Amino acid sequence: MNDEYTPKIIGFLCNWCAYTGADLAGVSRIQITPSLRIIRVMCSGRIDPLFVLKGLLKGADGVMMMGCHPGDCHYQKGNYSARRRYVLLQKLFEDLGFESERIGLWWVSASEGPRYAKVSSEFSEEIKKLGPNPVREEIFI
Amino acid sequence: MTATQIDSNKMPTKGAIVSAEEGINKTIVDIFKKSLEKKCFDAILIPVRVPETEAYAWVLLKDQSLLDEANPLPPIISVQGAKALRSLTKRGKMTQNIAAILRPCEIRAAVELSKLKQIHLDNISLISIDCPGAMPLSDYLADPEKSKKIYKNVLEKWGENNSVRPVCHICNRFSLPSLLPRKSEETSPVEQDEANLPSIDLHIGLLGGNQEKIFLIPVNPKGRKILEELELKSDDSLDIWQTKVSEVQDKKEKIRKEFNLELKEKIEGQEKLTAMFNECINCHNCMRVCPICYCQQCFFDSGALTLSPETYLSRSEKKGALRFPLDTMLFHLGRMSHMVLSCVSCGVCEDACPMSIPVAQIFSLVADQTQKSFDYAPGINKEEPLPLQDFLEDEFHEVETPKEVN
Amino acid sequence: MSNVLKIKKGVEQGANELLKFLLESEKVKGIFTLRKMNENGAVSYSLITHPKELQNAVPLFPLMPVNAGKILSGFTLKKAINEPIAAVLRSCELRAFIELIKRTQGSLENFLLISSTCGGVYPLKSLTDGTYKEQVSQYWESAKNAEISSDIRPTCAACEYFIPQQADMTIAIVGKNDLQQECSIFLNTKKGEEFTIGAPGNIVSEDIDTKETAKLREKRQEQKKKLFDELEKNGSGIKALVKTFAACLSCHGCSKACPICYCTLCDFDSKTHEYLPSSHEIELEQKEGIRLPPGTIFFHIGRMIHMVVSCVNCGMCSDVCPVNIPVSTIFSKVGDSLQKLFDYLPGKDIEEPVPFGTYKEEEFTEIGE
Repeated sequence: MNDEYTPKIIGFLCNWCAYTGADLAGVSRIQITPSLRIIRVMCSGRIDPLFVLKGLLKGADGVMMMGCHPGDCHYQKGNYSARRRYVLLQKLFEDLGFESERIGLWWVSASEGPRYAKVSSEFSEEIKKLGPNPVREEIFI
Repeated sequence: MTATQIDSNKMPTKGAIVSAEEGINKTIVDIFKKSLEKKCFDAILIPVRVPETEAYAWVLLKDQSLLDEANPLPPIISVQGAKALRSLTKRGKMTQNIAAILRPCEIRAAVELSKLKQIHLDNISLISIDCPGAMPLSDYLADPEKSKKIYKNVLEKWGENNSVRPVCHICNRFSLPSLLPRKSEETSPVEQDEANLPSIDLHIGLLGGNQEKIFLIPVNPKGRKILEELELKSDDSLDIWQTKVSEVQDKKEKIRKEFNLELKEKIEGQEKLTAMFNECINCHNCMRVCPICYCQQCFFDSGALTLSPETYLSRSEKKGALRFPLDTMLFHLGRMSHMVLSCVSCGVCEDACPMSIPVAQIFSLVADQTQKSFDYAPGINKEEPLPLQDFLEDEFHEVETPKEVN
Repeated sequence: MSNVLKIKKGVEQGANELLKFLLESEKVKGIFTLRKMNENGAVSYSLITHPKELQNAVPLFPLMPVNAGKILSGFTLKKAINEPIAAVLRSCELRAFIELIKRTQGSLENFLLISSTCGGVYPLKSLTDGTYKEQVSQYWESAKNAEISSDIRPTCAACEYFIPQQADMTIAIVGKNDLQQECSIFLNTKKGEEFTIGAPGNIVSEDIDTKETAKLREKRQEQKKKLFDELEKNGSGIKALVKTFAACLSCHGCSKACPICYCTLCDFDSKTHEYLPSSHEIELEQKEGIRLPPGTIFFHIGRMIHMVVSCVNCGMCSDVCPVNIPVSTIFSKVGDSLQKLFDYLPGKDIEEPVPFGTYKEEEFTEIGE
């Protein structure tokens, strides 16, 4: 693959904090990486681990999960579940040698526009270094 | 309409004879590569060997290089081809033209599934092939290298070899064109009208070619068009193929009859049949790999058969003991009653059974008999409704006659 | 130290004596255990209510045609049993039952749970290829000497949880060099003691953990490490997964045999995972070819995500696989790792919630920052 590849990263952003934060970043005209394709969910607790798995198996170079800081969840407990699911996913991918660096979880509140821009561009850089997802070449999955 | 008697006069008479100097597999694969080049099809569904393994998987491919590891007749049946087709077109029609090259039993299962609205056959060109059978899955897994050698021999000796699965050894439907529906007794299949097209467009004949040539046989106008696009003339005589097919067919009919007589003796009666399933662990693998068993949730897996503990206890008290999981015979005979009229004897059930129970042989035997009483051959005629989807007012009066009361 | 009922018969006979006593004295209404189906080694779990049928009971036969925890869950799915029933099951089967009860898939009420220190079971193939007779004869020798019997299920050879935790009674097998003369039944709970009042035998005091059981545990732990290391030979990452699951037929037999997979309609069998032809056509534009049926790897890893924190390493999945994929080894390895991460042992404590579906506020605080 050529080194000019732009990673395709899927981001699952919770409506109340992360998505609003992303919106704020946009409105504030902060530079945001073009790699990230956002899917809005009502709560990070809605993120089914299978979404993350499916994204990677379909060839996404990275998947980000973003939600409210612990204690601030609009639905009280959703982000705690998200955190556990992420921990499970990460360890599972690690054990299978599945490039667990391609997924990540960040807490981004509604007012943290600059933070959103920062974590997404940092993650995008990491993904760029990792190269395209090798799953893209696989026919027999 | 049953189609067990073969009359050479009704088989396709003309086709294209293609030299197979570089080996049958390569010849067929090259033809399909050309078909992609010439845009006869947008994509091809064919078994492909998974790199660095001896496993075969169905691949829908556009890329010619993938065809290098393709094999239309792998030594084993992995996933039943009709199941693969169903995963593609259950929810709707393909918009692109694809060719699917399947074994005869897989094509027949696909046709049955299309009658059950589980497969949309539009834009799919079904291409069949003379099939000598497949090897038992467990034999192949135990020693793939040895099995590949044996299978090469199977392709050469055809029918004289007992290394294929039992249901394959007795298979009398190994060459589809000889079984296709007729508009009337006189016309050959090539002259069928649009409304009654047989399920396949093209057939690859292997019998009679002696490993030196293959026969590309168009079965309908679409098949002839494909041969035209491949720049193959389709007026070579198919005499040697027809003769060999009839010869092997006769042999198989005899073998089948003998085998089934023996099998019937081994399993008939409640005691013998139940004993056959003594080792059954109720894993339901047989049902899940069966192409005809398409129910999203099998009745026998549903809550319908879950009872209360008191019921289990009282059932146990009737005979002193109650086997778990429950209802082994209910499952097998129930499944049989649900699907046996469409059973194509493909044998994947027996391959999948972890306890090596001869499921396919038993189901095949019953399928033969029950399909005969409805004069029905599954998967041959796309237009023919399933026996239980249809009825005639004037039939089976013999079951209505009340018994004499003395 | 616990009270131990000693029956002066070989362990297999002693177990039968115990069951006979329980049924004939009417302390239990029925016995749930393995029963012989024919003379070729076929066995099946059965609910026995007549003492006469106990003749064919083989409670300690080293074969697992189906995980008994799954059966007991199905048994008590609608409601708990209302009469006492004695159930003989292995450590992993009991752990599976407990995991299912945590998911409201059954009830322990009125069960008298009898287990054993487990020497493992043979793969189902040993019945079909006829090797079981020979294997079973050397099984008891290995068990006596706290050795790992060769040819048992790979996950059994690597199992360190062979001393059951939640049973009312445990029949001691592993490391007992008096197996042929005496049957030792550890009475772990008050219930266990009550039900054996009047049983033929005498009561002594012993410890279930012995030098021999510790020895076997060490051996099994070594074997576990070897087994997991062997998985590495296929490499790691997506290429290794593709190779491992190359022959997969997507029959989902592994899921159906798994005791933890209790969903009546599995997500991966539902409409969620049925795609329009257009989805396939679009994917075909991006790749040279697509495998059908789709989602082979997705199913396995997805199922792993759903159930592996409760995986009890019973090995049923590998046994029913028609193409000999070492499913149980892979799931065991990942299960082991994830269970350590959450400091969770499936089936150990019925009060301990399943880590998937619960959370603590103060944990993994470094994540997300």
